[in-house]
Amino acid sequence: MSAALRSFETQWRARAPDALQPIREAAMQRFLKLGLPSLRDETWRYTDLRSLAAQSYGEAGCAGSTAAAGSGIAASAGAQGGTEALALVDPKQHAATLTMRNGCPLFSSDLPAINGIEINSIKDLYKQDSNYLRRFFESASDADQRRWVLLNTALFVDGLYLKITKPVATPIVIRHLATGDAAQAAHPRIIIDASPGASATIIEHHLSEDDIAPLSNSNTHIALGKDAQLEHYRVYATGAGATHLDSLDIHQSENSQCRQFTIVLGGGLVRSSLEARLNQRGASLDSYSLLVGHQDRHVDCVNIVTHAAPDTRSRQTARAIASDLSRVIFNSKVIVNAGANGSDSKQSCRGLLLSPSAEIDTRPQLEIHADEVKCAHGATTGRLDPDMLFYLLSRGLDRETAQSLLVYAFLADVLTGMSVSSARAAIENALINQLPDAQTLRKFR
Amino acid sequence: MLEICDLAARVAGKEILNGVNLTVNAGEVHAIMGPNGSGKSTLAQVLAGREDYEVTRGSVSFEGHDLLAMRAEERARAGLFLGFQYPVEIPGVNNVYLLKAALNAKRKAAGEPEVDAYDFLALIRQKMKFMQMSETFLTRGVNEGFSGGEKKRNEVLQMLVLEPKLAILDETDSGLDIDALKVVSQGVNSLRDPARAVVLVTHYQRLLDYVIPDYVHVLSGGRIVKSGDKSLAQELERRGYDWVMEPKVA
Repeated sequence: MSAALRSFETQWRARAPDALQPIREAAMQRFLKLGLPSLRDETWRYTDLRSLAAQSYGEAGCAGSTAAAGSGIAASAGAQGGTEALALVDPKQHAATLTMRNGCPLFSSDLPAINGIEINSIKDLYKQDSNYLRRFFESASDADQRRWVLLNTALFVDGLYLKITKPVATPIVIRHLATGDAAQAAHPRIIIDASPGASATIIEHHLSEDDIAPLSNSNTHIALGKDAQLEHYRVYATGAGATHLDSLDIHQSENSQCRQFTIVLGGGLVRSSLEARLNQRGASLDSYSLLVGHQDRHVDCVNIVTHAAPDTRSRQTARAIASDLSRVIFNSKVIVNAGANGSDSKQSCRGLLLSPSAEIDTRPQLEIHADEVKCAHGATTGRLDPDMLFYLLSRGLDRETAQSLLVYAFLADVLTGMSVSSARAAIENALINQLPDAQTLRKFR
Repeated sequence: MLEICDLAARVAGKEILNGVNLTVNAGEVHAIMGPNGSGKSTLAQVLAGREDYEVTRGSVSFEGHDLLAMRAEERARAGLFLGFQYPVEIPGVNNVYLLKAALNAKRKAAGEPEVDAYDFLALIRQKMKFMQMSETFLTRGVNEGFSGGEKKRNEVLQMLVLEPKLAILDETDSGLDIDALKVVSQGVNSLRDPARAVVLVTHYQRLLDYVIPDYVHVLSGGRIVKSGDKSLAQELERRGYDWVMEPKVA
């Protein structure tokens, strides 16, 4: 048993049982039995966790949270340390910001009431009614991409449950703040539950107080009712020494629409998975990934989309950029179940290498068990197109400008899909800072 | 304005140009014709500064400067313009942004201030109207989704905005219907001026009915094998290229 596994088991034994005990117990036993994923596991073949496994982890804890018994959960943590907080929403807009520190919601009494959203602590909810949230926790999956979700289920301390009951115009920002040292681990948990016909925009923003942060093993579960619509962002902007393992589960009902943006702008090791199930007819998912490898960052992104019902639609657009010594992996898989006729899926992944020492691996896959489907996939990786570059130079643009312009153009497909203009601007801004010739790039905006 | 002496160049180790000599003076229009594979496009690309074309011999002077010592972007700013045979599509780079950046790069090199945004838009609108281009070109990516004819019009539009001293147009007539050919020719003719020169690289004589050249040259086997006036183009149209080509060594 690895040091990491032993330390997680120690934490588990020290925990007092709560209302979710049977689920947590099953998840922990499964996790201990299967162990940490290794390079032999299908979705982990590009990410070596051996140095992580050799470490022991203590609980990151909620230190610093103002655990007052307020009526809600609120506002700014005032983190100005290691990573820059991005202005993802316009301060003039009445956006609501919820802060989680190491997975613990920060309570306060001045939460702006938003018509159409109920926000609760997961812990409070299951204390009141242990059955209410059960459907959001599974305990038994052996799939290697779900290994860390098992651990999250066993060890999460608290989290946020957002129930969306109506169309909500105000964007909601969930700010995940990681504080502490690398020998600690946190397991943030978010549940977004949209009722039939409801709609919302939710932005999860991961940042750390310092370059070094606790291991973050986060999970977000999204359930969309009939005709519900969600635009969801997860923006990773933690410090260069931070390790982040994040998983996102999306379950979609009839005619629901989800637009999802995964943006990697920070962290040392970022593993980001997305598993979506289009469970009923007409469900539609647009997934956009912007994966920026910078310095020695390692980014491993795994998308698995299952078309489980007829006439469902999915689009995956991924753009990976790797500079310096970074490595970016994008694995995507579309599964069309038997009977899911009329499924329509497209996977497009493009990689751009900006340094000879950087690496990008892409692997689009299809697994089709139905007859009448439309599934397309494509993946290309290369350097800047020499024909495009020469064209720009032949018009008199200097080399730096021409190169920056092409890099910027490469990202445009993902950026232009964002409907929250403030988020787009902030992400562009942060992105530009990690690309060569930042000053030149600014002029294109 | 342009003096090419004994220019030889190769691409991927293959000798394409093999001793080209050509002098182009201000105010002149030259047509370079020749069969496929004779080196016409290579000559155009070498003059514009494409780096993967290796110059192995000879010299090129442009307005008294050593052209071969200049980088592609420096040549452009000095007033050399290449109209591409196959203009590349660059999605995500706005057409107008490129025009403005190109114009400002040239102005900066000449020690002039950046163009005023309002004046620039007025200029573009006027030139677009002249080239009979729709306003949607303003918002699109460079050549993105353009038809073959639209791409060629866009090349000429860029030329009109940049007002080069020397324009080298590589098969700007290919793929154009007769109406588009007239518009493109009109664009080229509007640039004719005692202070400028134009080099038309073309496979067919058709364009030369609309843009009348002062000189016609035939490029074959990487060198100019025959030169004449516009009647040479007509003769080539009638008789083909075989009679001017260098005899093959058996």
